[in-house]
Amino acid sequence: MTTFDEKKAVEIHQALHSHLPSEPALRVKALESLLIEKGLTTSETIDAWIEAYSEEIGPKRGALIIARSWVDPEFKKRLMADAAKAIEEFGFEGKATGHLKAVENTDKIHNLVVCTLCSCYPFSILGIAPTWYKTAAYRSRAVRDPRGVLNEFGVMLNDDIKVCVWDSTAELRYLVVPQRPSGTDNLNEKELAELVTRNSMIGTDRDLNSQAKVKS
Amino acid sequence: MDGIHDLGGKQGFGPINVTEPTEPFHEEWEARVWGISCSTGAPGITIDWWRYIREMTIPEDYLTRPYLDSWSESDMVTLVDSNICTVEELATGKSNTPRLEDANNITVDQALEANRMSSRRFDRPSNADPKYIVGNDVVTCQFTSTGHTRLPAYVRGKPGKVYAYHGAHLLPDAGAKGEEIAEHLYTIAFNACDLWPEAHDSNDIIFVDLWESYFDN
Repeated sequence: MTTFDEKKAVEIHQALHSHLPSEPALRVKALESLLIEKGLTTSETIDAWIEAYSEEIGPKRGALIIARSWVDPEFKKRLMADAAKAIEEFGFEGKATGHLKAVENTDKIHNLVVCTLCSCYPFSILGIAPTWYKTAAYRSRAVRDPRGVLNEFGVMLNDDIKVCVWDSTAELRYLVVPQRPSGTDNLNEKELAELVTRNSMIGTDRDLNSQAKVKS
Repeated sequence: MDGIHDLGGKQGFGPINVTEPTEPFHEEWEARVWGISCSTGAPGITIDWWRYIREMTIPEDYLTRPYLDSWSESDMVTLVDSNICTVEELATGKSNTPRLEDANNITVDQALEANRMSSRRFDRPSNADPKYIVGNDVVTCQFTSTGHTRLPAYVRGKPGKVYAYHGAHLLPDAGAKGEEIAEHLYTIAFNACDLWPEAHDSNDIIFVDLWESYFDN
């Protein structure tokens, strides 16, 4: 059983730092071999999880949720009231979505999600977090210089648009609901979902009109 | 703890690599880390103890090693701490003890179902009434636990306003010690101009989810 002993944890970190190979691929290979030899997992099981998070669980799930919120006002109400419950309609609940909240962009509000203390992310609807989301650069600056961060992503906001930054310090997770691009009245839910970028659901993308133009 | 992980507002980092490929994994070993992490784990650990272990990573490693590599190292700490394996075994990749069990293979469909079933809730009943209601002014503590806490340094000793109330949730400071304490959780709105000197004319808002014992008033 785990010890909850912080001194011991520090000592183990130091021992691993001293004794493990420096190259990540070698460390992970040794870890995998050991766990398989001990009968704790199998190569096939590891492959299955990788495939699940490469093919099925990813931002296309989030995009389907957003697209439905654009075409179905009743679903939108349920999503804004209790996103954790609303995504069960798709069977998309899972890792880190037990307390999901949806936050909506408007003409006057832009939402941006970060986890300054670690890298909390709603895995089951957005998949593996992009590396930039986990970097010191993003985590340090999103709460202090959100407009500067957005500029680097190509998002230029007028001064009259308020930025709302959501720092995921508890088990709540945030999903940004981007604005529906104009001129998309003729598109169905599936076509609309193709316009929704991963970054727009984190808040580092805003205007999906350019996506709409590419598709039309 | 006042660790290297507490990055909000620290200066000198950047710019951000915005041209990263969109694939979920950029290296084969990253994918393996994810698959290993999803399929194994030390029994009895809490998410808070795991995060605390992650925070105790050697600071230079925390800042310089690839994220999922450093993340995997925290998993290794939990395995050693729980006597599931030794540092020597992790270094060699070879087990020093006979196999005690056999893991089953799972299919992609089973992984998807296991993922769906892994949604967890952290709210718990509480006999105490919440001390604050939406709209109340609060001031955050200057100090909290010396161990694990989820009150970031950049919002300590700061004025904020209760934006939302979420019921009582498990307190991470206790969870990191293996204890279950339910405490009222709120989303607090901080004005950027109250946090950063350069933001004096900003209307931007930073929302942070904080527990009741993180407030002074």
